[in-house]
This record gives sequence, C-alpha cells and structure tokens, in this order.
Amino acid sequence: MLITRRNTLRLGAAAAGSLAMPRLAFGQAGRPSITIAVQKIVNSNTLDVLREQSNVGERVFFGSIWESLIGRNLRGQLEAQPMLATEWKRIDDQTVELKLREGVRFHNGDEMTAEDVAFTFSRERMFGDTEPKNRTTIKAFEAIPTPRAGKELPPEVPAVARRAWPDLARVDIVDKYTVRFVNSTPDVTLEGRLLRYGSDIMSRRGWEDSASYLDWARKPVTTGPYKVERFVPDTELLLVSHDDYWGGLPPLASIRFIEVPEVASRVNGLLSGEYQFACDIPPDLIGEVESNAGFEVQGGTVLNHRLTVFDKNHAQLADPRVRRAMTHAVDRQAIVDSLWAGRTVVPAGLQWPYYDDMFHADWTVPEYNPELAISLLKEAGYKGDTIPYRLLNNYYTNQNATAQILVEMWKSVGLNVQIESKENWAQIMERGETRAIRDWSNSAPFNDPVSSIVNQHGPNGQQQQIGEWTNAEMNELCYFLETSLDRPARRKAFRRMLEICEREDPAYSVLHQNATFTAKSRAITWQASPAFAMDFGPGNFAV
Amino acid sequence: MIPFILTRLLRALITIALVVTFAFVVLRLSGDPATIILGPEAPPEAIEAFRKSWGLDQPVLVQYLQYFAAIFQGDLGMSMRDGRPAFELVVERIPATLALTLPALMLKLALGLPAGVYAALHQGTAFDRSVMVAAVFGFAIPSFVLALGLVLVFAVNLGWLPSGGRDTVWHAVLPIITLGAGGAAALARFTRSAMLEVLGRPYIRTASAKGLLWAVVVRGHALPNAAIPTVTLIGFLVGSLIAGAVVVESVFSWPGVGRLLVVAVANRDLAVVQCILLLVATTMVTSNLIVDFLYGALDPRLRQGARAAA
Repeated sequence: MLITRRNTLRLGAAAAGSLAMPRLAFGQAGRPSITIAVQKIVNSNTLDVLREQSNVGERVFFGSIWESLIGRNLRGQLEAQPMLATEWKRIDDQTVELKLREGVRFHNGDEMTAEDVAFTFSRERMFGDTEPKNRTTIKAFEAIPTPRAGKELPPEVPAVARRAWPDLARVDIVDKYTVRFVNSTPDVTLEGRLLRYGSDIMSRRGWEDSASYLDWARKPVTTGPYKVERFVPDTELLLVSHDDYWGGLPPLASIRFIEVPEVASRVNGLLSGEYQFACDIPPDLIGEVESNAGFEVQGGTVLNHRLTVFDKNHAQLADPRVRRAMTHAVDRQAIVDSLWAGRTVVPAGLQWPYYDDMFHADWTVPEYNPELAISLLKEAGYKGDTIPYRLLNNYYTNQNATAQILVEMWKSVGLNVQIESKENWAQIMERGETRAIRDWSNSAPFNDPVSSIVNQHGPNGQQQQIGEWTNAEMNELCYFLETSLDRPARRKAFRRMLEICEREDPAYSVLHQNATFTAKSRAITWQASPAFAMDFGPGNFAV
Repeated sequence: MIPFILTRLLRALITIALVVTFAFVVLRLSGDPATIILGPEAPPEAIEAFRKSWGLDQPVLVQYLQYFAAIFQGDLGMSMRDGRPAFELVVERIPATLALTLPALMLKLALGLPAGVYAALHQGTAFDRSVMVAAVFGFAIPSFVLALGLVLVFAVNLGWLPSGGRDTVWHAVLPIITLGAGGAAALARFTRSAMLEVLGRPYIRTASAKGLLWAVVVRGHALPNAAIPTVTLIGFLVGSLIAGAVVVESVFSWPGVGRLLVVAVANRDLAVVQCILLLVATTMVTSNLIVDFLYGALDPRLRQGARAAA
C-alpha cells in the first residue's frame, strides 16, 4: 500500500469509530470547553483587526472576540443586522447617526459608551497622520497626536484604516449612547463600511491601560462573547467566556485555538478526540473524514472568489481578444465538480448576493465556449507564443491542480501557457516581461461593489497600482460609484464595470467561489457560517 | 594550544559571517517581506508604509551593511512580524526545542551505541542482522512518515498518547521517539562499522594473543579506538540540538525553534531567520570545537602530535 495522506487517514478513520464521542472538558456551570485545530491562528501575531486583515484572522475574531456597530448575520446570509448599535439613520448624504446598545460590557467590565466608539475611530488608534482623501469641506476631527512611547501604531494600520474609511472626517459624540459618523464627501456606503472587517469597537480604557501597542494587540479589550485569556503567537489562543456578554451567557466555558500546520495531524487529532473541530480541511479529504459515521464536515462558500488575473501589458495579452479567449476556454463547472466535489459554485462574476439591490442576478461569467475561444484567437492573430503563468505552491486550496487544469483547457484551444513556479507573492507580482497571468482571490468586506471591484481593480486597487491593467472608462466609473448617491445609476454603472472587466477588456476571470470546510464530531450541534468566522455565540453550540 | 584555539575561533567566526551573508542574500533577493507578510490583498499604501518603516525601500547593499554593523553592536534586529527583538523571540523557543532534542539525544545514545557495539561483537548473528535491518529502516524512513505512523497507532488507534501539542509530558513522547529513532539507527550503523574496523586490527589480535580476557580487550583497546569516528557523529548530533527538529516540530505542532524557523523563512522575517542561523552555526561550531578537543583526549597520538608541533 502506498503511504499517502489519504491512506494514512483512511487507516485512522477505520479505527476511530469508538472515539466518535467528543472528549469535552466541562468547566464553569457545566459548560464545555473545546479545542479547535487550525492551520494558522493569525499571520501578524496580533489580534488587532486592522493589522490582521486575513481569512484566518476573521475566523478567530468574529463571533468570538470583536464586534461592530452594525453586524453581519452569521447564521443567515450575512445580511446587516443591529449589533452594538440598535438603530441608525441618515442625517444627510455625509452623515449617519447611530444609537448605541445600552448595557454592553467590555471584557474589563466597563460599559461601552459613545466615548469608546469615537476613540475606536480616532487618530491615536486608527488613522495616525493620514488625512481623508477628499477633505475639502470639513475640517479633520483632531490634531495629529504625538504617539506615546510604545503606543506607536504599526505603519500598516493607518494605511489599512484609511483604505477602509477613505473620507471619514470625524465621529461626533451626540450623547452617551449616540454617535454621528461624518464623511467629507457624500457616500452611500457608510453603513456598509460600519460592518466591515476593521470597524470593530474597542474599549478606550483597555487601550490606555496597556503598556504598549503590542500588549494591547495581543489582548484587546472588546465586547465579544469570549475574551482573550492567553495568546501565544504561532501556537495557541485561549478564549474564555465573557459572562457579562450583552447577548446572553456564551455556551462554552472556553475555546482553545491551537495551530496544527499539517492537515493529517489536524484530522488525526480530531479522530483521536483531542480536538473537537479541525479547520481547513481540503475538499479531497471530506469523503475520508465523513466515511466515519461519527464525524462530519461542515462549511461551504465564503465571501471570496478565486480569480485568474491578466497583465494586459504582456505582449501576448495586449489584444483583449486573447484574454477573452482565455475566459471562454475554461470549463469552470468541471473544476468545481472535480476538485471541490461540487461543494462550491461558479458565481455571477465578481459580485455577491448580499450586495442586495446592487447585485445583478442575471450576470454570468463568460460561457464555456471553446469554439468561440478558437475564433477569437484566430481574429487576434495569436501565433502560439508562450504566455507565462506565475504560480504559487497551493497558497489557495487546490491551486496547483486548478492551474494544471487551466493550462490543459487553454492548450485545447491553442493557447500556449507555461507555468512558472514562484515562492512568494513578491515574486508573483514583480514587474517584468514574464508577468502575464497569476492567481488571486477577491473578497467583499462590505455589501457594495466598492468593497471589491473598485478597491481591487479600480485606480487605487492593487491590479492597477502594480501596473497590470488599467481602463479609462472603468476608472471614471469607479469614481462615480464611490461618490454617487443615485442608486439606479450606481447599479447601471456597476453593470458596465462588470462588462468592461470581465468581457470587453478582461482584467480578470472569476473561476469559482471559495469555500472553507471544518470537520467536527456529529455529537456536537453547531452551524457553520457562510464566512470564515466561527460563531460560538449563545444558541449555536450544544452537545 | 592557544594558536590552535585562536585559529579555530577565527575559522568559526568566518563560518558564521558567511552563513549570515548567504542567508541575507538568499532571503532578500527572493522576495519582498512587505508583500509576503501583509498578504496579497493588502492595500498598496500599506505595503509602502511597511517597507518604509522597516527600511526595505533602501538599496539591498545598504540594508546588508546596516544589518552587519548592528550585529557587531550586539543588535540582532527586530522581527518584522512580531515587532519584538528577534533574539528574544528565538531564545524563548529554545527550551521547547531542547525539551525534545535533549531526551532524543539521550535516546539515540542509549539505543544506538550499545546496539552497534553488540552487533559488531556478534557479527553475522541473528541479532546483528536484526539490528542492521532496524537501523537501515530507521535511517531510511523520513521522519514525517514515521511521525504520522506513530500518531496513527498510538494516538488514533490505541488512544494512549496525544497526537500533537505541548501540554503535558506525554505530548513529548512521540516526537522524542520520532527524533530518537533516526539518530539511533545512524549511530548504531556507525558504531558497528567503527568497531568492526577496530576489531580486525593487529593490536586486537596481539592483545588477545597475550591472553587478555576478551572483555578487557574490548573495553581497553577496541572501544577507545572505535570511539573516535563515533564521537564525530555525536558532535553533529549535539550541533543539531537547536534546529534539528524542524519537520518533527511541524508534524507534532510543537512550538520550538524549528517551527519558528519555518514560519520566519516563509514570511522572510529576516532578523529571526538570521538569529536562528547564528545560533545554529554557533552551536555547530562549538560542538565541532569540543569534538576536536575530545579527539586529543581520546587519541594519545594527537596529543603527542600537538606537543611535537609546539
């Protein structure tokens, strides 16, 4: 028998039947404690939502530690819902007023007030010396502070914060439980930005009491159902119940995330009962885990699409017909069926249904049409010259296998695409004549196209900033989408942007929606969210 | 003796300088830490701010000279991921690694040395062949395969031991066995070969012919002579105490220096990688120095040679 990951796990699964009952430790008030094995806890070694902007960070932050004024419904379809704010209304095109939930306690016992909300969006905590992008009519809210020794923000924090809130001018305290967010320009996405990753509320005293930024960032004082007890970077994160949680008593006494880099080790630990959850299960192992009656794999699509990205400056890709041919040569459903066991979907382009009225349900990715691809290549006069494809080694799930399938599909219509293996993102993005195709994924941090197509492919997005692609009409539309309040016109503009970026002058090609899978004992009742976040709030855990 | 020590120390310093330079060149020329640490979706302005803050916008040569100058002032740099001194990060991981590698070294010595000696003294017997089969198996099998096999049997199937982590003393058992098995196998093969070579020498025949007991011949003549090549191998094993468990620490989720090295290399966290390399190089060089001195203690000819040279 070959010693493969699959065979190894099969042997383990066969013997694990008697261990299917999870070994839970029962702590305070009879509530259980659980251990969750993850590939990575966080990348930045901090628990700061502005420094750790990643999928793995989302998993440990939301539903456990951090909460925002407007929340996402993790047990629904991520629709906006009241969280730390109970209601909100527009004062004018540039201002949103929010009523704070009364009686919310931070992990240090303090009550959350407008003071904490204003401090969360202050220069000292968020913006540093950055200024609103279009600050022309409203004075910025405070003088640039001199950071206290040890409390200097890491340089990327103000940059990330300003990207999330490019035009926020100030946060006004109306009274103890009322705040106003004032933008320097009209913006229909203010409410969306309030629910995005990074707009989460922290205790001002928690910040003041910490000796340094790093001390705070490893034990932030927030309002979530669990508080940080211990964080050992690259090793473990222990959360304990926040018994004064405003939403009721959390169902678990403690949650321990431990870092187990090897997938076989995570599954083995699950089968032996050491872990109650094993995250980041690749699709090809779902069947193996579920072959044991005591275990199941939950999860599914998340707010993240996998893309193939084009560099239109490459000699072979300058003609949009070649890029269009590439988009039509890919049978996306075959990839979903063969590599993802059908457990994800081919989405309607770079958009998500939670965009609500901005979502174009009738839009589709370019149809799989090899004949059309061949014809487009012929029209473009493509002679079979090499098109390099810079590839990372499985940074994304199934990345290598997907790349090989893509290359074969392109080859079948006459495209000569050659994979060039690279070691890291810097090598992938490095400018040069060999940059033509690469992989990427795009998320939508809030429920508007500005959060994705504008932020990633617009004039300030990464693709244009690193010089891969640009389009004058697209750039005008981006500005319009960011500033217009006319919703029908915005919807129309977004449609036009999809046409440009995905059909006429392809910047990228959406392959499929990403998905994440978590294995657990069937004896545990728990509902996975349509996001990376793991929700262990009141009502979502039982044995 | 002093020139001997000074020469060795100078050689050691040059080795360490070369290691640091090589690591700097390879790591810095194979990727921008800012893009790697902040990830593919980071806003360009965040990447720019990060690069500026850590001096990554300076020419590589300037960065190298600054780094080297700092080392001579005892400053090994700050971790770009962690924001803490790299030395502090590395030092706090050493106890975890030594908790595996020291017992594993004991296990290697306790199994490998007696097995090799006994097999040599009983050459061609069933025991000898069994030891050699086990040694070849232990030496050839990759540590991650052995590790997963042990987990499968003792953690998943039997449920006797934990599969990973570092919570109790029981968590260390499987990693230590994994680490110890490969080293013990190598040591057994090496010791057996050395013993066989010595046992075939004329002075062993002479000692036996003089009527000495076989046990005395082995203890007094064979073992000391066979020890020299074996000590060399033990020197290497001691030298790899700090970073000799990279794979095993990853498989068993053991938070030691090996895991830190993997993460730091992947993130191009230069200061941390170089701090670990400095430690590894220093340990290896020190271990080699000790081995050199032990040669003198074990072999009178080397002592006499050194005296004659002086």
